Amino acid sequence: MEYLAVVFAPHSLLSIIIGTIAGVVIGAMPGLTATMAVGLLVPFTYTMDPVLGLMLLGGIYSGAMYGGSIPAILLNTPGTPAAVATAIEGYPMSRQGRGRLALKISVIASFVGGMFSVLILLMFAPFLAKQALHFGPAETFLLALMGLAGIVSIADEETSLLKALLAGVLGMIIAIVGTDSMSGSLRYTMGSIELIDGIDFMPALIGLFSMIQMLEIAGQRESMQIDASVLKQAQKSEPMPKGIWKYMALGSGTGTVVGILPGEGATIAAFLSYNFSKRLSKTKAMFGKGAPEGIAAAESGNNGCVGGSLVPTLTLGIPGNSVAAALMGAFIIHGMIPGPDLFAVHADKTYPFIYSLFIANIVFLITGISVAPYLARIALIPPAIMVPVISAFAILGSYSLKQSVFDVYLMIGFAFFGLFLKKLGYSLEALILGLILGPIAEHGFSQGMIIGKGSPWIFFASPIAKVMWVIIILLLLPPLIAHGKRMLRGAARVDR
Amino acid sequence: MKLTKRSFVAGLALLAVMGAPAIAQDYPTKPIEIIVPSSAGGSTDTTARIFAEVAESKFDGFKFVVNNIDGSGGQKGFEAISRAAPDGYTIGLVFTPQLVAHIASGRAKYTLDNFHVMGNTADAPEIVVVPKDSKIKTLADLAEAAKGGDLTVAVNGIGSDDFLAAKAFEALVGVTFNLLPTKGSTEQKAAILGGHVDASFMNLSQMEAQHKAGDATIIAILTDKRNDLVPDVPTGVEGGYDVQMRATRGFVAPAGVPADIQTKLDEVFAAVMADATFQDKAKASSIYLLEMNGPDYTAYLQKLQADTQKVFDAAPW
Repeated sequence: MEYLAVVFAPHSLLSIIIGTIAGVVIGAMPGLTATMAVGLLVPFTYTMDPVLGLMLLGGIYSGAMYGGSIPAILLNTPGTPAAVATAIEGYPMSRQGRGRLALKISVIASFVGGMFSVLILLMFAPFLAKQALHFGPAETFLLALMGLAGIVSIADEETSLLKALLAGVLGMIIAIVGTDSMSGSLRYTMGSIELIDGIDFMPALIGLFSMIQMLEIAGQRESMQIDASVLKQAQKSEPMPKGIWKYMALGSGTGTVVGILPGEGATIAAFLSYNFSKRLSKTKAMFGKGAPEGIAAAESGNNGCVGGSLVPTLTLGIPGNSVAAALMGAFIIHGMIPGPDLFAVHADKTYPFIYSLFIANIVFLITGISVAPYLARIALIPPAIMVPVISAFAILGSYSLKQSVFDVYLMIGFAFFGLFLKKLGYSLEALILGLILGPIAEHGFSQGMIIGKGSPWIFFASPIAKVMWVIIILLLLPPLIAHGKRMLRGAARVDR
Repeated sequence: MKLTKRSFVAGLALLAVMGAPAIAQDYPTKPIEIIVPSSAGGSTDTTARIFAEVAESKFDGFKFVVNNIDGSGGQKGFEAISRAAPDGYTIGLVFTPQLVAHIASGRAKYTLDNFHVMGNTADAPEIVVVPKDSKIKTLADLAEAAKGGDLTVAVNGIGSDDFLAAKAFEALVGVTFNLLPTKGSTEQKAAILGGHVDASFMNLSQMEAQHKAGDATIIAILTDKRNDLVPDVPTGVEGGYDVQMRATRGFVAPAGVPADIQTKLDEVFAAVMADATFQDKAKASSIYLLEMNGPDYTAYLQKLQADTQKVFDAAPW
């Protein structure tokens, strides 16, 4: 109870509010990341009261995770890789004048995911952290496979299975560029120091999402007329779709579990939740064309990671992802070494910090809901203004991440390459899945083979692995059956 | 691309030369850039920022700006330091063994001669750690267990301090580990705590808390003396295994800075190292200070480069 009093002190509330709103802005700007913000602020918190400093950083973390969805929905530019799935569903919704609803769903889903995961952190942290340790490199490989299974379900009437798979493999091939982490040798870097770390996701994503969109709009013969009915629609406040809560619960659970696993991040959590929601949805055909369920699952998934990632960070000193790693630095700087001590000796600081995360979630919920109607209008800006402004942001965002002009060229290259593929009917979503999850799968596979001393049995050995195989098969079967039916129907049509 | 970047840097250098004639009396007339070849918020970055803060408070007119040029194992940042104009307005915080490993592998566009070495600030002692229930209790046990050739040992990436220490141990004892390269200490910690590997070569700060909490056991520290933080842990030399490794972090300037300005910079370095506030702040951030002056650190770097070259030539990466 006294801990709650600490949280509700005016100073604390102010720190949380400032941190959270700053976090939302940082998350919303492509090129600025929560890791960067927390990392830069850690040395400053040295002179601050530890509790206030941690609350500020916790606010940034929570806010930034939500903030990434705003430009994803409005401008088709994911502010963070974790918001990619949100862009896939959110942007079509705002084109249909339903941007306001998309924003509302994303903020409520983020809130639900965040609250749930922090609750889990508060109640079960030490127990869950111990369980997460059973999760080794072999299981990481299977987790990435689960995400990659999403490629198969992309195939539908418009995209053939073959083209989806080819695009996925192409993404993985692009991700091969860089240093091989197992041998240290360089792969396809062509002597360029810029490529030693491989191709950065953000320039690729900005190119494949927002820049492509601008090229397409700019390439239209006649400027698009904004539909008056869309305009009217955008002013209206739509009620939340029925049954959306199911998908938020699904995402919250998935996100929290993935967050707890050491080293796994919000990106994979968002993709997995999205993929699960697609399997469960009754309106699968709507996916990729503006399905609110997809946003609900993906956003609750990536925010579920916030509380989840802090479970191993606080109890074992193993950060769940890069933001949590930076946050751990702030604990250490104040002499709060992660471990059991944090919940005993330093309980007077740790618990207020955890409670403050609840407040942070409430702060971004209120912020998000209140600005949504104004933000939604951004999608209605005429193309003549939209194209140059977004293009400028795309260039700025690609450059600012590493102050690298190379990344700007990379972004432009991806935009043209992506447009070419899109015209040929290849799925860009599959390409992105391959690009992001390919390296995780490769790393897990290589490490698993080393630990297993060359025997692939390790990928089937543990009980966790067996359960994961069942899930993978469940994810793969229905789309494959649907594909088979389409083939048969196609053959029948030819016969006639 | 390369051309534009190079001409951009050249242009900057030109501007710097024109804007600030290198005269020691009125040095510095503008902020001094510290290039940190790793990302913001890490231990190396914190070292640079604490250094800058204390130096600014001790020396009037000195302002520092930290510029993080991370990626490619520090190579980008090291090259940026070596290319910077030698006018005293750019210094850098380099770290080993990556600084010399890039030279050994032939990938670096610099040599040690491109730097004026100011001195070392901090180090991270190398340790050998095993899971808490492991039968391996000493380095002798480790050597014995490794004889079959299937002892899985985690290291940070190829060419890192962990990797070089593991290779040195292999060469000394005549065994081969089943080496598991990871993407850093997070993966190593998870692998040890989860019992997925038999042992791991790491830095002390990364496992100190877990060792004290009893979640993992440090069986040896690979430095010349025992460490005050873990006085119960024997050194490798004590057990009869002369393998020594530490990651160091030192300040350098590009070679060719005018002598009077370089003297001033060296003086700032020595004064900050001796400062009590600096020492306290470093301790609070788990940064172990290890002062070495310019000539000593240069000698250390040269020896490390020769040793690393041997490892690379035996098994290139």
